[in-house]
Amino acid sequence: MPANIRLRSARLLPILQARAIVAGGSASDMEIREAVAWNLREPGSGRVYTILGIRTRSGISGYGECTALSRAEFEGARKLISGRPATAFEVTAPLLAALPSARAALNIAMLDAVGKAAGIPVYQLLGGPTRSKARALTTLEGNSDAALVDSMKRAQEAGFRAFIVPVPETTNRNQGQAYLLATRKRLETLRKAGGDGTDFVLDGGNRLTPGDAQMISAGIERFHVLWFDEPCPPANAGAIKKIAAENVTPIGIGRHACDGSEIQDLLREDAVDVIRPDIGRNGISQIRRMAAIAETYYVAVAPTHYGGPIATAAALQLAASIPNFFIQQIPWAAADQRMREELCGASLEAPRNGFLELPAGPGLGVTVNERNLEKYKESAS
Amino acid sequence: MRRREFVGSVAAALAGRRLWTDDCPCGIPGVEGAAAPPFGTPWQTGQYDRILSKVRITNVKTLGVSLTPNSDRPYVFVKLETNAGVVGWGEATLEGKAGAAMACVNDFRDFLIGSDPIQVEHHWQSMYVHSFYRAGPVMGSAISGIDQALWDLRGKILGMPVYKLLGGPVDPLGVRGYYHAQARTRDQLVKLRATAVQDGITCFKTGPAGNTFEWIETHAQIDRAVKSLEMIREAIGPDIDIAVDFHAKTSPSVASIIVKEIDPLNLLFVEELCPPENIRALARISKRCTTPIATGERLVASYGFRELIEMGIVDILQPDINHAGGITAIWKIGAVAAASGISMAPHNCEGPIGGLATIHVDAAMPNFVVQEVCSGVAPGPQEKVWEEWLGFPAMRMVNGRFPLSDKPGLGFELSEDALKKYPFGGTRPMARVFHTDGSVAEW
Repeated sequence: MPANIRLRSARLLPILQARAIVAGGSASDMEIREAVAWNLREPGSGRVYTILGIRTRSGISGYGECTALSRAEFEGARKLISGRPATAFEVTAPLLAALPSARAALNIAMLDAVGKAAGIPVYQLLGGPTRSKARALTTLEGNSDAALVDSMKRAQEAGFRAFIVPVPETTNRNQGQAYLLATRKRLETLRKAGGDGTDFVLDGGNRLTPGDAQMISAGIERFHVLWFDEPCPPANAGAIKKIAAENVTPIGIGRHACDGSEIQDLLREDAVDVIRPDIGRNGISQIRRMAAIAETYYVAVAPTHYGGPIATAAALQLAASIPNFFIQQIPWAAADQRMREELCGASLEAPRNGFLELPAGPGLGVTVNERNLEKYKESAS
Repeated sequence: MRRREFVGSVAAALAGRRLWTDDCPCGIPGVEGAAAPPFGTPWQTGQYDRILSKVRITNVKTLGVSLTPNSDRPYVFVKLETNAGVVGWGEATLEGKAGAAMACVNDFRDFLIGSDPIQVEHHWQSMYVHSFYRAGPVMGSAISGIDQALWDLRGKILGMPVYKLLGGPVDPLGVRGYYHAQARTRDQLVKLRATAVQDGITCFKTGPAGNTFEWIETHAQIDRAVKSLEMIREAIGPDIDIAVDFHAKTSPSVASIIVKEIDPLNLLFVEELCPPENIRALARISKRCTTPIATGERLVASYGFRELIEMGIVDILQPDINHAGGITAIWKIGAVAAASGISMAPHNCEGPIGGLATIHVDAAMPNFVVQEVCSGVAPGPQEKVWEEWLGFPAMRMVNGRFPLSDKPGLGFELSEDALKKYPFGGTRPMARVFHTDGSVAEW
């Protein structure tokens, strides 16, 4: 055997052995023996989320994240998942149907553990990478045009090129022409200040009536926002369907969905152009299933994310495991950057020219620091 | 012409060969050695003997032809030989899948040998139905090549060009066509207009600027696409028709935005606005735009077009004669479309045989609008090779029309020797196109 091949084989051996443990080894090696939860609150933004850790019998740990869990929800999920192998990340989902957020965090943690056992990133486990980097999106802060421009300038310096912009404040239940003009002015001011290659998602923020949403959707068709997010409350599917049928402004919806059938209904009704499932409510596997449905409608996926850095890692793993990913929302706030980095060793949240780099390490690709989780644990919980 | 004379002229065309049976059961001349298919066929049982011609297919040849060693689209030609000496040519070219298309033609070999080429509709049904698994593009292309060769044989045996066998022509001057506008700058487009006016060309095809489109797109990308098309209309002028091929690079979401903005350009049609699997997705675009919508080059058989027609989504259908199932299939798709007021603008971007075959069907379809050829106003290297093979400038327009031939069959003679200069260079991989982030893009 030539020396270089021998060397290569030697280097690959531990990886192959680790994979063999997952593939053919005793299922009980991957059995979940412990589960722990940390409820965190960010000092700057006040964001709250739960980090969940599991440990398998063979000593491999996995971490996940979801929207804030109550103690009762966590205990319920822990009982249901204990003793099951981490490799059952898909088939355990129905057990946890009543606890969607816990299901999301456990799914991410199980995939992290399986990826680590196999020595590969989660996206490789799931058939990727389907891309080499992931486009990033962040939310601008402020309510006046000037404040938004200011926020955009700072975000641009941080490497972002696409931004979520709120619609202007409403003063009445229904608005007139002044409101459309104010919305256009806001977008035009931002585009002018941002320069070419800056893109925007207009966030209806669940506050417009169907009539107002229709007026805005029609009135900004030629502005080319990436999409109009939640033009009106999504429970009113008929209204959204009408807006989608009569205007070409793309519609983004689904930030509250935690079931594939909710997404399927929107797609069947031709009511959505980009689905927005929240990584913190769904985890990786469920969004993969939603993405598979959306793919058959040529509809893109842009996961919502309001949580912490572990969910960011999970979202990047997801982005590189599906074909129809478009952009990943990142909760960007300089104030909490240090905390977010302390939780998982490195920052995955610094885009370069609008794109985030994919982690290359095994599992989620981040090293979660449990001491720092304790440090930032919310005392009230 | 009185009936007796008509029969006489057919007989003359048969050049003294007695091809029609009158009263036998009789054997099949020249095909004694044909391998027996596993199931009994009508001609083996003698069921059809009384009403078939005496012509029998004696050999099926599949020829791969690469114009350049790295040709991305090697031609797959099908040659059927008969006991009557006449041969028929067809084309089964399928980009990126030449090997599969050739193998699939060969899968039909035992079925074809010993059969009567006159009976084309029956054979089409048998190839399609008896395959059990319905045809996708590979089988569709194989059936297309065989079907064209059967029609070529029918025309040659009966002494008529195929368009006459189909009941044409609609217009003896030929069929209207378009070239691709191989011009991007304003100056090039203005020059192209001048050439068109001089040559009598009435239509061009182009595409929006932008190599790839994601399913949601940025302002910069959408803006560039719209502005490029506005510039083309402005430079080409209002009196020359423009068709715009999106090549399914766009999603329904992105195509809707672009097409709504270019509706005022009154294009002849916009083509393949989104990928072909989801017919209802195309409806999302058609409901929000007024420009006529064309599609269909990736669909197979009339069945593949039924839902598009039924849902009232399209204005123009573009079956490809090398994929949809040959002359038999294109004619049927045209018939179904006509009943819904839909026009036909067949796709054609392969070799000269499929192109010439399409012209015959075009000439016999009352709802035909315009014929594609993937070529510019000036003949390229491939057209020069075609002329070298066929002895005439195949697929070149005269006064904006593809002329019709008076010769029988598809109207050309082709020798295998002529093709030998361009040996099959192997199946080439399909084009591989990616987005900025390295993910797979439609091309």
